[in-house]
Amino acid sequence: MKKLINVTVNQKKYELAVDVNMTLADMIREELKLTGTKKGCGLGECGACTVLLDGKPVSSCLVLAVEADNREVVTIEGVETENGLHPIQEAFVEKGAIQCGFCTPGMVLSAKALLDENPHPDEQEIRKAISGNLCRCTGYQKIVEAIQSVSVHK
Amino acid sequence: MLIPRFNYHKPSTLKEACEIKGKLKNKALFLAGGTDILVNLKRGIISPENIISLNGIEELHLHSVDGKNGQTRIGACSTVATLAREKFLLPYSALLAGMNNLGSPIIRNLATIGGNLVTGRPAADISPSIIAYNGKMVLCSVSGKREVPADEFFMGPGKTALNDDEILTEIVLDNLSTYSGSAYIKLGTRRALEISLVNVAAFITLQKPDGPITGARIVMGAVGPAPLRAKTAENLLIGKKPSKSLFEEAGIAASGDSSPIDDFRGSAEYRRDMVNVLTARALTQALEDIK
Repeated sequence: MKKLINVTVNQKKYELAVDVNMTLADMIREELKLTGTKKGCGLGECGACTVLLDGKPVSSCLVLAVEADNREVVTIEGVETENGLHPIQEAFVEKGAIQCGFCTPGMVLSAKALLDENPHPDEQEIRKAISGNLCRCTGYQKIVEAIQSVSVHK
Repeated sequence: MLIPRFNYHKPSTLKEACEIKGKLKNKALFLAGGTDILVNLKRGIISPENIISLNGIEELHLHSVDGKNGQTRIGACSTVATLAREKFLLPYSALLAGMNNLGSPIIRNLATIGGNLVTGRPAADISPSIIAYNGKMVLCSVSGKREVPADEFFMGPGKTALNDDEILTEIVLDNLSTYSGSAYIKLGTRRALEISLVNVAAFITLQKPDGPITGARIVMGAVGPAPLRAKTAENLLIGKKPSKSLFEEAGIAASGDSSPIDDFRGSAEYRRDMVNVLTARALTQALEDIK
């Protein structure tokens, strides 16, 4: 069973016929070929597939693509500005908050959602905000520092 | 991980949803936040012929304070993250703590309060406080609405009072009286994405600021097939002035009221001991909450 949906991804409008049993993560990766969104556990435990749905970070592996009808999605590809990398991405590079990079898209999006709502979070608030995003290289310290550095600059 | 095929329905009114569910009964499952259903679909635990999305029904997403009846009404499809930010829920400290302990931020942006309740997990984070507040569940079907006390809603792992033609539409909480306070404590090994080893919600009401206790409800999670009331502990508190030693006694009594099992998360013995500790601690926090 397919269904026609209208969805905005990274400010671009799409009309797509999606299988009702397809996840948003698969729609983003397979249909739109936006492979910056990673699939880790597929069960909502790791946060690698985090995207912003109407501005809020969610596990896209736990959302059916049909449920994104008339909603707005931002993936890691949509974070970049015309001046290049987003300040959060710059900070990740600057602070060495990247090891294998698999958790990075999710981390950046969780961080962006946090900073959009609370431009000056303390360390605890940062750690809480990324608590659903696992980094198996265990580079949390650098990630927290990177997010902190953006919040100080803002 | 593939999701089995199903027919997808997306009603835009509650009436329409009731009609579809009334016709399809156990051949259909409701989808709200999806944080449990999608996992179970992928794991092959469930394979429904039909899925009815509730996300197009506006009234299930509403929540408000009904001043006239002294009640707080919460639409079952409100997300946990949205509710955790609601000012009118601030006095419900146990509920708030439960919500902030559920999953992780990216799960809470999807997960709904109703979903956490209808899945009927013995270790669920929200159920204990709803029972502690003596909340009511509003269940709706084509034949009308009925209210079930939260106390009678949970019947065992995955089992609730919900019939196969019904939808949980609202959770109704009485507004809190002046000298009342509550707390919820979850014991786990991690702070996020954790399933309770033991959890305890406590809700107490005093006659005046320095006691005596006129109302006490203690609910324990993950120590029985459904969240359990610690009735011996509750009875022991009534009519007495709150004190450290009284709360310790209540902890021991609650431990006796629990019936945990051994599993890979922890032993029954450990859980019983933790019920004791967490009950005394939750009562102390509930008392603090009054002030």
